[in-house]
Amino acid sequence: MFVFFSTCTVYLVLFGSTQADENSCGLSMTWLETVSVTMDVSKNGFHRDLVTTVYFGPGFPDGLEALLVHRLPSGIYIDQYQLASLKEDTGLQVLLGSEVDLEAPAHTSEEFIVLVYPALDQGSLKATLPIHGRYHKPSLAGKRFELVEIKLPKLILRTDTCTQLISFPPYKIVDSPCTVHNLSICQWLEIQHQQEQDPVSLEIPLGDGSLVEPVCAGTLLVTLLCCAILSRSIWRHGVFLDNVILT
Amino acid sequence: MASIVESVLSKLMNKNVLFTVSFLVRLVLVSFGVYQDRTMVVKYTDVDYHVFTDASKFITQGQSPYHRSTYRYTPLLAWILTPNIYLSHVFGKLLFITCDVLSGHLIYLILRQRGLSCEAACRVCSLWLLNPLPAGVSSRGNAESVITALVLATLLCLELRQLPMAAILYGLAVHMKIYPVTYALPIALSLQRKENVEERRVGWWRKGLGFLLRLLNKELFLFAGVAGVVFCGLTVLFYNMYGWDFLQETYLYHLTRRDIRHNFSPYFYMLYLTADSPWSLALGLAAFLPQALLLLLVSLAFHTDLALCCFLHTAIFVSFNKVCTSQYFLWYLCLFPLVLPRLTLSPKQGVELLALWFAGQGIWLAPAYYLEFEGYNTFLLIWLAGLIFLIINSFIMVQIITHYKPSDTMQRLKAE
Repeated sequence: MFVFFSTCTVYLVLFGSTQADENSCGLSMTWLETVSVTMDVSKNGFHRDLVTTVYFGPGFPDGLEALLVHRLPSGIYIDQYQLASLKEDTGLQVLLGSEVDLEAPAHTSEEFIVLVYPALDQGSLKATLPIHGRYHKPSLAGKRFELVEIKLPKLILRTDTCTQLISFPPYKIVDSPCTVHNLSICQWLEIQHQQEQDPVSLEIPLGDGSLVEPVCAGTLLVTLLCCAILSRSIWRHGVFLDNVILT
Repeated sequence: MASIVESVLSKLMNKNVLFTVSFLVRLVLVSFGVYQDRTMVVKYTDVDYHVFTDASKFITQGQSPYHRSTYRYTPLLAWILTPNIYLSHVFGKLLFITCDVLSGHLIYLILRQRGLSCEAACRVCSLWLLNPLPAGVSSRGNAESVITALVLATLLCLELRQLPMAAILYGLAVHMKIYPVTYALPIALSLQRKENVEERRVGWWRKGLGFLLRLLNKELFLFAGVAGVVFCGLTVLFYNMYGWDFLQETYLYHLTRRDIRHNFSPYFYMLYLTADSPWSLALGLAAFLPQALLLLLVSLAFHTDLALCCFLHTAIFVSFNKVCTSQYFLWYLCLFPLVLPRLTLSPKQGVELLALWFAGQGIWLAPAYYLEFEGYNTFLLIWLAGLIFLIINSFIMVQIITHYKPSDTMQRLKAE
């Protein structure tokens, strides 16, 4: 009996040591090194699409769940009502970290966090997030566009089958909502990469602050002129019956 | 071919046929909208309709409709649309198209009251009933037709001298949207006692006193009293239910609104560039003064013809406002059919003015599209287009004022 147990222990120790590179949740170090994230901005103008794609090598574990944690700058915003309607149409799953004011200009807004649960699309995970540019303060130095930079999101992973993630350097463990319904918190593995890609940027047109005087003067001139022309016409054709101005 | 068109048109100008066809057209648009929303990426329904429906949902859950961000309307609207949640999502749109056709019917009744024949009234009405703009707006789920119906109903009751009813409708209209409050002065002036102003050598202060005494009469007090009770009653009721949010979102937001994002207003770029400057308040006031002066002048000049007066009032209010979106155009377009029969413009001149109005919008929409959807910096062009649009609107209003043939009573009084 003792020999049996000691043999088992030896086998377990030997077996355990050769599996040092595999996390108990099926996420192996070698596979994790094949994971990469790219991000791109499509469309033009104030209304864009932020497309994030997660590529990975073959042999991904069953029940793999991914979560993209975007930290978006104050220069753009997301319309939660548009997201709700897109959820029904395209299945886009997004959780907003905080209330986003849809109308505030950039200089009175703050960064905000968006959690995107991408869907599997032909062997990679992809998510298209509609973003909108905020109005920025007019520039005084003749700058015609403001560059808004969007950093790459953090990618965190877990598997459905997993109940307890074991710490796995250099990857650290973070807590985040398990699904978009935000009913419970799960443990996720944060995949850190060298920044393979520079942040993406989009240009937002700016008003020209140096023209403030001609614009004000021109506006007031035209409005007063139109007011004068209309007043003259009303005076001529009006029936000022009982008022005191007409003698 | 021409005779077929003619016979179709003459059959259409039958009152019952016209109203039935216009309702059916709107019904078809609503149905198409439901289909488009289900199958295509670009939705037919306006964002506003979703805002109303979301607010109604909060009400059905016993909460404030103002939990829905960007809901800036009276709670009454969300209450009226609660069947959207209980019955069908399409209820609101059916209500709005009904109000739209009702507006057409009210235009018909007012025209008949002003002396037009049934056929002529139908022809003028068809400009509203068969017009794609109001049909599109109401079938997309905008609530403008409710306010146009209320304003037209107020004018009809005033024509029929049904003052209590007119006052109730007016109070309700002002509660729903602030702009009808500008009609208070013309209505008050139109309710003054008609007396012969004979003495012409009396001093101006004597005349002023006489004017005030004629103005402050029993009918005015009745109208102001009833309208005041309705408006204040609704305000107090909803303030008790929803608190400061109600006042802020329904009234204060619209009164202090400084939308720096691009819109048709000639003041848009000026307000954007000076948004954080200390001059902002003074410029806001400078923008308000021409509007106020013109509204006062129009009230004094045309109060004897309320339809023309209210039309010019709203057209001036919208054109000189600090914010102007295309939804505002319906506020004065619904009154235009009342003005049309007395215009002495030829059809050719009318079509030219209409083309000019559309051209003005087109000149603005082009750079605005390039700014919003292509990302070009076209701010300067949008500013210039806004000024051009104001000039065009002013020109059209001058043409309308110049070619308006007042009623016989008005002409006689002017000659005296």
